[in-house]
Amino acid sequence: MTARALIRRSLSRHRRPLTGSALLLVLWQACEASVPVLIGLVIDGAVVTGEWRDLAVWAVALTALFCCLSYAYRFGARLGVGAAQLEMHQLRMEISEHVLAPRGARTRLLPGEILSLATSDAEQVAVGMRMLTHLLACMASIGVGAWALLRIDAGLGLVVLVGTPVVLGLIQLATPRISRHTAEQQETIGRATGMATDLVRGLRPLKGIGAERTAAARYRSLSEAARDASIRTTSSYGRLSGLSTTLTGLFLALVALVAGRLALDGEITIGELIAVVGLAQFLAEPMGSIGEISARLASSFASAGRIATFLGTPPLVLDGSRTPADDQPQLHVDGVNAAPLDGLSLQTRAGELLGVVVTDPAAADTLVALLRGELERDKRTGGVRLGDVEYDDLKLDALRRHVIVNRHHADIFEGTLRSNIAAADEPHLTAVLDASAVDDVVALHEDGVDHATAADGSTLSGGQRQRLALARALAAEPRILVLHEPTTAVDAVTEQRIAEGIRRLRHGPGSDRVTVILTSSPALLAQADRVLLLTDGRVSAEGSHHDLSADPAYQAAVLR
Amino acid sequence: MNRNLLPIASTRDTAHLAWQLLKQHRGALILSALAFAGAGLCGVVAPWLLGRIVDGVRDDAAESVVTQAVIGIAVAAVLGGILTAVAASFLARAGEPALASLREQVVDRALGLDSGRLEEAGAGDLLSRVGDDVRSIANSLVEVVPLLIQSAIAVVFTAGGLFALDWRLGLAGLATAPFYVFALRWYLPRSGPYYARERVAQGERAEALVSGLHGAPTLRAFSREHQQVDRIAEASNAARGLAVDVFKLLTRFFARNNRSELIGLLFILGTGFVLVRDNLTTVGAVTAAALYFHRLFNPIGALLVLFDDLQSAGASLARLAGVARLPQPEPPTATVGGKPLLRMTGVSHEYVEGRPVLTGIDLEVAPGEKVAMVGATGAGKTTLGAIAAATLAPSSGEVTLGGVPLADTDVRDHVVHVSQEVHVFTGSVRANVDLARPKATDDEVRAALDTVSATPWVDALPDGWDTVVGDHGHPLTPAQAQQLALARVVLSDPEVVVLDEATAEAGSAGARSLEEAATAAIAGRSAILIAHRLTQAARADRVIVLEHGKMVEVGTHDELIASGGRYAALWEAWSAE
Repeated sequence: MTARALIRRSLSRHRRPLTGSALLLVLWQACEASVPVLIGLVIDGAVVTGEWRDLAVWAVALTALFCCLSYAYRFGARLGVGAAQLEMHQLRMEISEHVLAPRGARTRLLPGEILSLATSDAEQVAVGMRMLTHLLACMASIGVGAWALLRIDAGLGLVVLVGTPVVLGLIQLATPRISRHTAEQQETIGRATGMATDLVRGLRPLKGIGAERTAAARYRSLSEAARDASIRTTSSYGRLSGLSTTLTGLFLALVALVAGRLALDGEITIGELIAVVGLAQFLAEPMGSIGEISARLASSFASAGRIATFLGTPPLVLDGSRTPADDQPQLHVDGVNAAPLDGLSLQTRAGELLGVVVTDPAAADTLVALLRGELERDKRTGGVRLGDVEYDDLKLDALRRHVIVNRHHADIFEGTLRSNIAAADEPHLTAVLDASAVDDVVALHEDGVDHATAADGSTLSGGQRQRLALARALAAEPRILVLHEPTTAVDAVTEQRIAEGIRRLRHGPGSDRVTVILTSSPALLAQADRVLLLTDGRVSAEGSHHDLSADPAYQAAVLR
Repeated sequence: MNRNLLPIASTRDTAHLAWQLLKQHRGALILSALAFAGAGLCGVVAPWLLGRIVDGVRDDAAESVVTQAVIGIAVAAVLGGILTAVAASFLARAGEPALASLREQVVDRALGLDSGRLEEAGAGDLLSRVGDDVRSIANSLVEVVPLLIQSAIAVVFTAGGLFALDWRLGLAGLATAPFYVFALRWYLPRSGPYYARERVAQGERAEALVSGLHGAPTLRAFSREHQQVDRIAEASNAARGLAVDVFKLLTRFFARNNRSELIGLLFILGTGFVLVRDNLTTVGAVTAAALYFHRLFNPIGALLVLFDDLQSAGASLARLAGVARLPQPEPPTATVGGKPLLRMTGVSHEYVEGRPVLTGIDLEVAPGEKVAMVGATGAGKTTLGAIAAATLAPSSGEVTLGGVPLADTDVRDHVVHVSQEVHVFTGSVRANVDLARPKATDDEVRAALDTVSATPWVDALPDGWDTVVGDHGHPLTPAQAQQLALARVVLSDPEVVVLDEATAEAGSAGARSLEEAATAAIAGRSAILIAHRLTQAARADRVIVLEHGKMVEVGTHDELIASGGRYAALWEAWSAE
């Protein structure tokens, strides 16, 4: 989809409210343009004549105009805002659903960047949609003003209609300077506030080293830069505002000169003179708005382009059509080359706890991506099979039914310990809490397993988060579970408990479940049925933890 | 959860503080006020002279009346423009430095907060103050405040102009004021709570989005993505509903403004009609009055709409003032010399009353001695470390350094604490390290990086140690981040170091090199090591096993192994062969 297509789609799915909104806003602006004309008419038709009846008639007319103006705006704007808010919501959901699709999305964007797509870019597109209706309205009011002016006096009308855009154009000449200053100001303020939040987030390490003064001094220099940029921006805003005061004032003087002479010559009435002057003042508004709106539309267009590109990114994993013939398929890695993996082959066996020691962290990351099915086909040779089916042809549901690959990073969600773990039932929950040593965490809180967790688990320590993520993986009871460094933030005592717990929970007598643990922890490896050592991207040694312990390469890799 | 938020200053205190900051720029402030007033005066010249033209036309006056009036309008335009520019510029010269001092003071106090207090308030509270509140005021100072002042001045002077034309026309205009006030008093009490709810709803929406985006891989792995999509939809829809409701309220407010505008026009035209009929004033004066009032539509509208912005900027200001007015930490009173001994006597601590985390700890760390602390999660290791580093004051007991109570010393000159949190500060690698000693020379910083074996990867970065790291910068592994923290220790060169699980996050291969870096960083210093890997404990001079807040075993590695107690069991599990 292109930016243009996305905008067209946005407009067409809110066609009715937008059309209604545009019509009402056109009416509103036409009424606004008529106010100065009507003031002239009241003075001409009632104040000058001194007839009570005339005054009553014109007062009713003025009231009718205001009613029309007020209601037209109220309902026109509401229709537009309603449509814009709905569109924003729809775009936001499309973006979220794209990322959270079962197949994922290969977006290569950071979460923060996607967040800004889903909030500010979606808003830009929706606002742009509304701006189009306002653009029509501005054009309508200029039309009405022009018509009134030309009817009063063709020459005078031309002076106003040509002069106003010229004045606005001159003012516009100053805006690139302002936008440069504003951008600079926003950037310096952004940098200063960015530093302040960064310092607060790192307050403990900062205080641990006693660097508060230094940090405050560094902040001060950024704050002073922001101050100077702000002074420049405000001053240039002031100059712009002054320039516009001067130019519109001079233009008004010109109009007054021409219109005053015409009135003196009796060519136009006093009411018309007033209408001309009032219109000359009023028309600057819609003309100015057109300039602003076009700038706004340009940025909506850019936002639409970003969203369209994002929604077009390919999925992260493939979704084939086959399911394994065996109902207890094993994982087979067949000669995978994908830097730094170099001809890696391995198979899981029913019921085993397999330890995998990887010397190169990058190789471990690649292996995890491979087992998740997220390693692109053109970035590797060889592949992974589940039973007799290549991942590339495998139905996503089948993969999900058999295998869970738990990342090293522990994502904790807002809710409770219980909701994060999501165990099937209470006895199973108890068993999982024990195996993952989360029961230590539960014991710390009065409300136990119903203790609230903040978004991103920010109220928990690193070790607690890690154990909670482990508990979730164990509670899901997958037939094949892959764990990546599950205990790096856990103390030695607890690590020992967890190692025994995983064994007890998943590998009791007769169990055919498979657990693959990528780790260098001796406590975990000691529990494994089989251990593979990966060096230079392939399996270089295989055996039990005990057997391998004599191997110097293994000793070097496994920390003790 | 009920949080004990940081203080918010009262209106009085906020105003007092704002005045304290502004009065240092009194000259600029006065000049700005004078220029604003002058610009306002120039603004009322045009409608008045237009009225003169109308009268001239009615009286069939000479053309010179028109010409003079036009010249007057032109002069007022030029003068008004210049004064507007001058006023804004002087306002910036007064306001911006005052705001800068305020935010610097806020950050200064924020950095002085003790971490316990910060935890009570939640980091989010402080983050939103130093971030959103500062930004909101900075933006409003550029756009809202000048516009507000201009509008207010336009309103005041135009009202004055109405009275100057004819006091009865003035009264007619003034009679509109109550209608505007009614509109505002109808709107404000309704809009405030709505805006607050809208902000909360937007916060929840962002929260749902962020956790969905961050957690997407996990959600997909566990087939839970639908739940999160539903949560986002719910939050987004709630925010949408509120935004629409808020806007409906706003349009009803605008309708009330339109009504006031109509009433004002009718008052003025009606009064003018009567006055002209009775020959008490001229048609030109009525024209000028009507034009005056028509010109007021925009400034009055701006004033009313900006009222919201002003209120929210005021709220932000009060939140900043609350932090800025916090007392400054007391300077240390005692100094410690030489290679001091760290002694803890009868130290106990409880975060929540009745739930002791540490009880009766007596510990001496001799100069140069390395003490390793071992124990399960929740045994009190981190708390003990924080107390030893004076990051936390114990509930009872005493900690001294070289015989001086720790709290009275210039503690960071002697004791450095590397906590569990790994944080990479946004900025260059060099700036991350020399935070510990900003005046350090290149050679000294390089030596510190060498000591912790960080030089090879630092040199391999795109711009060497000038490479920007941290948020949006070049990503570092947790092990590299921790190496920078250790380099800071080396550069800071303290006598005592407390290292809390400093190698925890490193994972497989990284942990080994990190352990070596830690060993190098604490060489020649006293150290308390909160050990994760038992290898660290094995290398220490003394090992302490903590259990439920008590020291249950103390001795060298070999002694404890020989005694066959808890440590020996742990070691056996750890080195199982």
